[in-house]
Amino acid sequence: MSKLLKAAYCSVFLLILMMPLFIVFGVSMNAKKVLFFPPRGVSSKWYSELFLNPQWYEPLITSLAVAVLTGLLALSVALPVAYLLWRYGVFYARALFALGLLPFAFPPVITAMGMLLLWVSTGHTGQIENVVIGHAVFLLALPLTMISLGFESISKEVLEAAETMGANRAQVFRTVVLPIITPFLVSSFAFVFVLSMNEFVISFFVGQSRIVTLPVQIFSSLRGGYSPTIASASVLFIMLSFIAFGLIGIFGNLPKLLGAYERQS
Amino acid sequence: MKPDRKDAGLRAALLSYPTALLVFAFVIPMGIMFVSSFYHRTETYYERGFELTHYLRTFDWLYIKAMWTTVKLSTIAATIAVLLAFPFTYFMSGYSRRVQTVILVVVLGVLSLSEVIVAFSWSNALSRPAGISNFFVWLGFMERPASWARGLPAVLIALSYFNLSIAILMLYPHCTRLDPSYVEAARTMGTSPARSMFKVVIPILRKPLIATWIVLFVFTMGAVVTPQWLGRPDQWMLAVHISKQAVELGNIPFASALSIVFLLVTIAMVLVANRFADKS
Repeated sequence: MSKLLKAAYCSVFLLILMMPLFIVFGVSMNAKKVLFFPPRGVSSKWYSELFLNPQWYEPLITSLAVAVLTGLLALSVALPVAYLLWRYGVFYARALFALGLLPFAFPPVITAMGMLLLWVSTGHTGQIENVVIGHAVFLLALPLTMISLGFESISKEVLEAAETMGANRAQVFRTVVLPIITPFLVSSFAFVFVLSMNEFVISFFVGQSRIVTLPVQIFSSLRGGYSPTIASASVLFIMLSFIAFGLIGIFGNLPKLLGAYERQS
Repeated sequence: MKPDRKDAGLRAALLSYPTALLVFAFVIPMGIMFVSSFYHRTETYYERGFELTHYLRTFDWLYIKAMWTTVKLSTIAATIAVLLAFPFTYFMSGYSRRVQTVILVVVLGVLSLSEVIVAFSWSNALSRPAGISNFFVWLGFMERPASWARGLPAVLIALSYFNLSIAILMLYPHCTRLDPSYVEAARTMGTSPARSMFKVVIPILRKPLIATWIVLFVFTMGAVVTPQWLGRPDQWMLAVHISKQAVELGNIPFASALSIVFLLVTIAMVLVANRFADKS
């Protein structure tokens, strides 16, 4: 009986979690320029509009480019910090690690404000790299913690064995360390990619209506009246997020990545 | 492994790049923000100077009310989310790894959604033509569909919804680490499931539950889009005012001063919550 109750609670909970997504999907299928659910008539024209109308197509490309670059930048910063922290535990690396977690702990509007001021005072405004750097600093906490998790899963014996066999530090890194942490690198890239793609406040502050990401475009087009294209753009982003995490779920160990305890059996 | 001098050089080289980025794109901006909050606003833009006018203006009744709204809404949304998400996470951590993975994919998918998309989704889900009121009409609970898309309830629903997935991810590791033998022991001694939940599980997980609540609280404090879209100006939180001042009105010094005050209040609230957690 209590098992049934638990299952019922979990199902209702998941249903509520998914409900707004279903409604947006339904709204995106409307045949006319109205936001009805269930949709009145079925049409895919709001999806083709997304790829044909430059007003939507360009922000879409911008968002994807920003997300890829942010992922690469955040990873390239997090990897050396996490590596040196794990390998040598130097104080300096620990301090950098803590500093790297801070932007994620602040309300994002604070980071956004700081980034806006930085670019305004350097006179370098409205460039794509501004948004990328803003996102990378804001999201750095994710690859830092996830890659550290990967390093910690390497047993010291394996490293010692490789060194006794005469491998130098670079060889150990390439042949032992890298293969073990690769899944963690890939997953943290996916996390940063998805969150950067969906980030709004920093893009809005730093883009200064010259670099327009899709969330910013959705935000500004809502003032000009609702259109089902907003819904179809949302659906596309929802799908991309689900695909990214679905792939981690299939090929990676998602529960472990999120800190689940592996019971020895 | 003995650290030698060549090693130290390599380490310094490896760390110089992360240091440069963090100093350039985080430490310096925070410094500029602090300094700018004392600058003088001119007719067109702003210039260097030192004045406290912007800080005095943050004590304007409008902003004090906005701060109070921010703290109030964040407290309610964080509490609702923890209350709803904790049982779910606890139950779900008992299922098989496969089921857990599928649920986690859904949770992460929802978590990563843009605040813009979540606000848009709920404005649809609560609207007259597309909303859940149509479902209630169909069930016969209501006569005709209603619009709930603007106002305090809509803001609270969307903010709490946003927090649910974060709460699950934060509580998940602790729920999986919970040794099931405690509950089993309590159950064998004849304790009811509900009682063992309150007497065994919740006391053990008290610390992570409070930590989660604090994270949700801070996270909700930063909401910009949700209160603007789903709320009336009464429900505008401080982050909305900062965004309006900085982006739309271009009043950089005042936006900086508001941000500094906002940051201080956030830190103070977290310290208070932590103190509360240690005492109780």
